[in-house]
Amino acid sequence: MLKSVVRAVGTAVRISSATASTARALPLSCPTLCSPTSATSRPFTRSLWMLNSSNGASSGYRSKLFSSRVLQPSVSCGCGGLHTEGDKAFGDFLTDEIKEEVKIQKNKSLPKMSGGWELEMNGTEAKLKKSVSGEKISVTFNINNSIPPNFEEEAEQGQQKSGEEEPEIVSTPNFVIEVTKQAAKHSLVFDCHFPEDEMSHGEGEDESDIFAIREVSFQPEGDTEWKETSYTLNTDSLDWALYDHLMDFLADRGIDNTFADELMELSTSIEHQEYIKFLEELQGFVKCK
Amino acid sequence: MGVVLRNLQKVVRLRRARLRKDVDTLRHILGVQKFDVGIVCVDNHRIQQINNTYRKKNFPTDVLSFPFHEDLRPGKLPCPLYRDELNLGDIFLGVEFVMKQCQEESFDLHDALTVVTAHGICHLLGYRHETEEEWTEMLQRENYILSEYNRLTGRHLQPLMKKCDHSR
Repeated sequence: MLKSVVRAVGTAVRISSATASTARALPLSCPTLCSPTSATSRPFTRSLWMLNSSNGASSGYRSKLFSSRVLQPSVSCGCGGLHTEGDKAFGDFLTDEIKEEVKIQKNKSLPKMSGGWELEMNGTEAKLKKSVSGEKISVTFNINNSIPPNFEEEAEQGQQKSGEEEPEIVSTPNFVIEVTKQAAKHSLVFDCHFPEDEMSHGEGEDESDIFAIREVSFQPEGDTEWKETSYTLNTDSLDWALYDHLMDFLADRGIDNTFADELMELSTSIEHQEYIKFLEELQGFVKCK
Repeated sequence: MGVVLRNLQKVVRLRRARLRKDVDTLRHILGVQKFDVGIVCVDNHRIQQINNTYRKKNFPTDVLSFPFHEDLRPGKLPCPLYRDELNLGDIFLGVEFVMKQCQEESFDLHDALTVVTAHGICHLLGYRHETEEEWTEMLQRENYILSEYNRLTGRHLQPLMKKCDHSR
């Protein structure tokens, strides 16, 4: 299904999304970060052991290789913590990284959601709330782990293609919609997500809806935990007519493709803010300010 | 599988259940219920891209059909050998384009989408309108489909093709 056209352009979609989320990845070309294979690390370990044992522990000789400078802090600030040359380099790296991230930050303030949604933040969790004719609707998402991972070949292609361009990172969190009616005992809860092949950012064709419902269930109002004893409707094997009615139900409450797109933008912005905050905190911790 | 419906745009507020029901009715009229059909709703930008890629026409349009089977003869249903060949193909609906036309002509969007989809399904079944004869043959089929649709639903829909038109 849908393959007549989609199969012809599917490759283009993958290539176009290849550059995503490499901007803040640690530099792949950095040799110290290239994880060594066991084949290269083992001989080195063994030669150290041989060096040590051949001299013998009782000879009184201590290899200088073992007297690490790490144990002798080179900088002291009186905080009681460890300060090394590595920490200094780390701090400098973070200063540059924060500067870069602040530079690419589109806006200091978060983008507004259209449709009268009110935003509440609790750490990395965001909650959008509104009331429609007596019904309460809330949409909750967490920005942690909301950036889809890339495939290796995509990153390679992206690097070749994009050159110096800053790739764009998009946060696509799963989100939970809770609809509460005054007269109803339980809330109707929708577990939604952004299907992965929608990450093409407008380039090429793809075959998924912008967002999709994964599960639907009745849950006690406001409960943070998903009650496993409540019947949960999985949309994988659902009658599609019922699925469409559920999507129309959400659209009537302002949760449609436009909403999903704005949510993606908001989540991306929150994620970036939190990332910068984390870097600053990390910098403070490393430098011990 | 039936009808695989995808809404890839955010310009037009679609009623998915209504669109699916209408497409199902059209499949029923044509006796192609056992065949899958993909309906992909896109905006002007996307349909223009597809129109340009596959037809070298760099402008938006209302509908583009991509039949699954080759060597189709109008009026003859494909004879699939395997289950996964029970597929007519995909119809891309330029819902933004259709909506603008509806606004100009004060026409109901979903009625218009039904007419456009009927046109698209005819293409999936091998009908074309490049010559006068083909056009007449396709118009007759569309007339039949929509008269049946009107009889079943009580609506008053007219075929999309008013004149011999090569643009779609």
